[in-house]
Amino acid sequence: MGIALQLLFTGLGIGSIYALVALGFVLIYRATNVVNFAQGDFAMLGAFSMVVLCIDLELPYWLGILITLVAMLVFGALFNLAVYYPLRNRGFQPVIISTIGASILLENGVLAGYGPRPQTLPSFFSFQGFSVGPIFFDSQYLLILGVTVVMVTLQYLFFERTLLGKKMQATSQDKEMASLLGIPVALMIMLTFIYSSALGGLAGILVAPILFVSVGMGSSIALKAFAASIIGGFGDVTGAIVGGLALGVVETFGAAYISVPYKDAFAFIVLVVFLLFRPQGLFGEKVAEKA
Amino acid sequence: MSGIVSSEAHKPPTEHRSGHGSGFLIVFTAAMTVAAPLLLPLTAYYLNLLMQASTYAVAVLGLTIVLGYTGQINLAQAAFFGLGAYSVALGTVSFGLPFWPALFAGIVIASVVGAVLGLTSLRLGGHYLAMVTISFQQILMLVLTNWISLTRGPDGIPGIARPIVFGFSFAESGTYLALCVAVLWVVGLCVGRLKHSKLGRAMQAVRDNELAAGVVGVDVYRTKVIAFTLCALLGGLGGGLFAGGFTYISPDQFGFAESVVFLTMALLGGARSPFGAALGTALLILLPEWLRFLKVTYLAVYGGAVILLMVFMPEGIWGFLETLRQRLWPLAVLPVGRVAPLPLTTKVAREDGSIILEVNQLSKHFGGLKAVDEVELSVRRNTVHALVGPNGSGKTTLLNVLSGIYKPTNGRLFFDGQAVTRLLPHERAGRGIGRTFQNVRLFTAMSVLENIIVGAERPGNEVAVGSTGVEQHALAALDFVRLAELRKQTVQSLSYGHQRLAEIARALAGSPKLLLLDEPGAGLNTVEKSELVQLLKRLKGHGLTILVIDHDISLVEQVADRITVLNFGRRIADGPPAEVLCNPEVVAAFLGNVKTHVAP
Amino acid sequence: MLKGMIYHRLVLAGLMAMLTCFGRGAEPLKIGMVAPLTGPAAEVGRYQTQGAKLAAEEVNKAGGVLGRPIELVIEDSQSTNPGSVLAFSKLAGDKDIPAFIGPTFSTQIHATAPDIQRLGKPVMIGGTDPQLTHMGNPWLFRFRPNDTYSARVIADYGVKTLDKKKWAIVHSTDAFGTSGMKNLVEDLKGMGVEPALVQGYTNNSQDFTPVVLAVKQSGADVMATYMTLPPDLAIFARQLRQLGVNIAWVGSPTTVATDSLKLAGPALYGTYAVADFAADSSPAAKEFATKYEATYKSAPDYHGAWTYDAVHVLALAIDNAKSLEPQKIREAILSVRDYPGVEGTYNFDQNGDGLRGYNVVKNDNGKIAFIKHIDFSE
Repeated sequence: MGIALQLLFTGLGIGSIYALVALGFVLIYRATNVVNFAQGDFAMLGAFSMVVLCIDLELPYWLGILITLVAMLVFGALFNLAVYYPLRNRGFQPVIISTIGASILLENGVLAGYGPRPQTLPSFFSFQGFSVGPIFFDSQYLLILGVTVVMVTLQYLFFERTLLGKKMQATSQDKEMASLLGIPVALMIMLTFIYSSALGGLAGILVAPILFVSVGMGSSIALKAFAASIIGGFGDVTGAIVGGLALGVVETFGAAYISVPYKDAFAFIVLVVFLLFRPQGLFGEKVAEKA
Repeated sequence: MSGIVSSEAHKPPTEHRSGHGSGFLIVFTAAMTVAAPLLLPLTAYYLNLLMQASTYAVAVLGLTIVLGYTGQINLAQAAFFGLGAYSVALGTVSFGLPFWPALFAGIVIASVVGAVLGLTSLRLGGHYLAMVTISFQQILMLVLTNWISLTRGPDGIPGIARPIVFGFSFAESGTYLALCVAVLWVVGLCVGRLKHSKLGRAMQAVRDNELAAGVVGVDVYRTKVIAFTLCALLGGLGGGLFAGGFTYISPDQFGFAESVVFLTMALLGGARSPFGAALGTALLILLPEWLRFLKVTYLAVYGGAVILLMVFMPEGIWGFLETLRQRLWPLAVLPVGRVAPLPLTTKVAREDGSIILEVNQLSKHFGGLKAVDEVELSVRRNTVHALVGPNGSGKTTLLNVLSGIYKPTNGRLFFDGQAVTRLLPHERAGRGIGRTFQNVRLFTAMSVLENIIVGAERPGNEVAVGSTGVEQHALAALDFVRLAELRKQTVQSLSYGHQRLAEIARALAGSPKLLLLDEPGAGLNTVEKSELVQLLKRLKGHGLTILVIDHDISLVEQVADRITVLNFGRRIADGPPAEVLCNPEVVAAFLGNVKTHVAP
Repeated sequence: MLKGMIYHRLVLAGLMAMLTCFGRGAEPLKIGMVAPLTGPAAEVGRYQTQGAKLAAEEVNKAGGVLGRPIELVIEDSQSTNPGSVLAFSKLAGDKDIPAFIGPTFSTQIHATAPDIQRLGKPVMIGGTDPQLTHMGNPWLFRFRPNDTYSARVIADYGVKTLDKKKWAIVHSTDAFGTSGMKNLVEDLKGMGVEPALVQGYTNNSQDFTPVVLAVKQSGADVMATYMTLPPDLAIFARQLRQLGVNIAWVGSPTTVATDSLKLAGPALYGTYAVADFAADSSPAAKEFATKYEATYKSAPDYHGAWTYDAVHVLALAIDNAKSLEPQKIREAILSVRDYPGVEGTYNFDQNGDGLRGYNVVKNDNGKIAFIKHIDFSE
């Protein structure tokens, strides 16, 4: 039993990371109908930024986090302008490809600038964690879970209770209609990218002490996060979270009880099963027919 | 009236690009490139490079079919490549098969897997397909790496044998390269020919306008699955040849990154053309070699280049060159000789005014919204039946149900005496229902004539037999709407009014028993509208049965034999025009309760 | 008189010829090198080239090879198999290159092997897959002990010195990890020990909790690891300690790689490893370590060490052979006896293996302490 609980905790921890990245995917998808293959690299950038600021420049953590988040906000805007905006009317394929290109550019750009050696970011806390009975609660994992809960709540409040949030929702549901109602669609999309970028960066900051910071860290998370968002119901915010957590747990249990080398396969097998039998995921709307 | 009457149909002047001349050029070039590795003393470096390029190009041609022609994304081409490679490797090394059976097995395995993957996931589009292909890719990698007893795992498989044909061995690299180049040429030519075949046109129709393709008679699902299977087949072929070329393979060569490479090769060169595939492959294999001096940054440059390409050159380099060529040397307006008249009604058409389309208690709900609410409608043969109503009354929804685009919530449909309620769009086209759309849905990348041909190729179109027959029939349809001269133009260069006419011609080419016209007058100016009315009258004069939606009453008045009026999804009137248009409820629906007559 | 003039001219011509000979003598001797300069293994490539360059400088300071300075011509393998093949074949096209420093990764060497065989010139390699020197290719010369020896040393040290009988083996499912595991299992069986757990994992796993729990549950008192990537090793080590597992650990060389130590920190204290390179294992190694650190500001590991040895041994062999002919160089290398390299003492056997043993080292609070060297005669 103790082992199962430990696996559950770790699974939820990893799952929260998938959830945070999936959240970024889903938001961009809802606003623009496009999948951003570079979403994982936002996390990578956030993590590297922390390394540069806190290790190389030896700034205190709180300052490093602040600067990183601001930098990611700016980056989100730039990303929108360079990668999405010029292609916004061209259908989803060119954008998918363009984001793949962006992903390669980002990863290799950082590689060229920083070198391939993986970096460490020490944990934010000096204490590693604590044990309750047979289960060890890693402090960083606890932080991730906590931050995810807070982010989701804040986000919910923003989208449901503020005017700006509702405008963004409107844009994501029907661009034309929103524009007819006087909502500046391009601005709303810009805000979506900015927020998603910061979200990705935040995921990177949180996960850096656990996974170590390397150029490829983003892509490996991104695919799983993408799968998670489909399992949860593509386009649904709650779905992204639940899907991410579920995926983390399934993966961890699968690795422990079935096979460790095939761990990655579980995520994708579950995904394929969902796509075949329930493509709308757990929470999504029925995959709509076009008019 | 032009183009009719003459019973001696002269063959329309067929245009070959340059007939025998270009064929000879191709054969000559092919022979040269195949012979080159045998004759020239190439270093091992160039041999290896070209071997990689030619086998990759075969795989990229698969993407030309599925992505370029059919518009479906496939992010697992490296997996199919890997299936082919492993079949050859395991076949020759572990099972002792000769090269050719192992290669054949590889092609079959890749195709079967591709077909299964396609059958299961092509019902979902876009992102879902991308995800399934990525997942398959990842799972295959894991299997190749971890099922060590079968695949030898990450050690890979060395010592792959090269083929022997009647004692002639291909072991020498130059000879093997010549083989690869020969295969590449054959595949490339086939892929090129495919574009101008019926299947190729169907693929392009699916890509350009999936919805219209189905309505016009293309079995969309089947076309997509065929395209996907062909792509997998070529991936397997390329992979098998690759294994024989490098004589050593390991799982890390067939991962997602490689699929991205294949995809980028297709896009860079131009996904829509086999030349593009070859060009993209050559560039992306040679570029890193030329860029070796950039050593550290070239991959980053390459990623940035992909973005720039998508923004500025989405059709890839070849597509860019094509567009340039079209701008500089636009296709001339081509005169056409005498054209056989279009047989608008089939030989066994009945002229008795009986009911051809019956709509019983049809409802279509979207959640709580009742877009169509228990509508009854009967269309008689050889009449023009109009469906009118204010905006949002459910006209287009009803038409979409008739086309098979929506499934009705309740109710039944009968066409020509048979129940069609459950039929798919292309099946309805096969029964003789033709349709045009409110916002013109032509296949933008094909020429005007090709668009019409797609219409003529609808299943069960008994008037068109053989490819010349089909082309003639299409030409006749085009001639009927007086656009024959513009047949070689791209659709985009046509004026809006001409596009509408072209769409009608496409529907006519399918020899429809019933023609559904959705707001044919929308967006037309007064002159164009009066021309449209003339056209409708001509069609009516030929005995065609038409169901037309329009909100322009004055247009409808001039041609309709019967009018049905919808409001808020319900039928509020049905009868001859004179009667319906005076109905106070109808007037109220259109104009509110104001009695003044406002010009539409 | 005429005879005298002719005689003078002849002498002059002879002098000119001798001068041009010496002139050509100063022309650099190119040694080809295939290394990953880009891609995921770019870091490894950097260490490799640094080690080789250091050796080349020393050789040139001592007069070069056959009187000529050596020059490394490096081609990028892009960290991939096809990339390695292309890099090698590019170098192979240069007729002036008599010998090559090949890749470290066994799969890349396998991929390049057919081209090497076709070319017929000596290639110094750093891959540890035992098969590489047993597949009938006479042109591969290995400058690191192959995996049969690492397994034997691990088994030997763990069973005989640490006296542990219940073994857990954690290995990567890639080529290196799998072959290492297979060899170790066989060796342990030969010593009468059946492993309690054999657990594989895929490279780049983000989480090792299931693996750690499996180790814990197996009740093993000693763990052997064949892990390829430092980040994996570090995450595994940390989670191992978090979940309270502190059994004896004898790991493959990655366990003491610079990156692993940096990433894992205290989690790796007290672990043993077999390492082909250990700075304190010999005077030669110590000297190399000092020089390398002074030049490149970081401690060397085996990636730089084997290429350093390879360049030196190759230079020695060519000098001994007094020729650039491939067969003669080959014979000269195989005749090398007791050469004090930094990876160990080289004695080449007929298969091309130069080393047949490993150092056992211990991580003493972050410092790598050399314990002993275990060698096998065959």
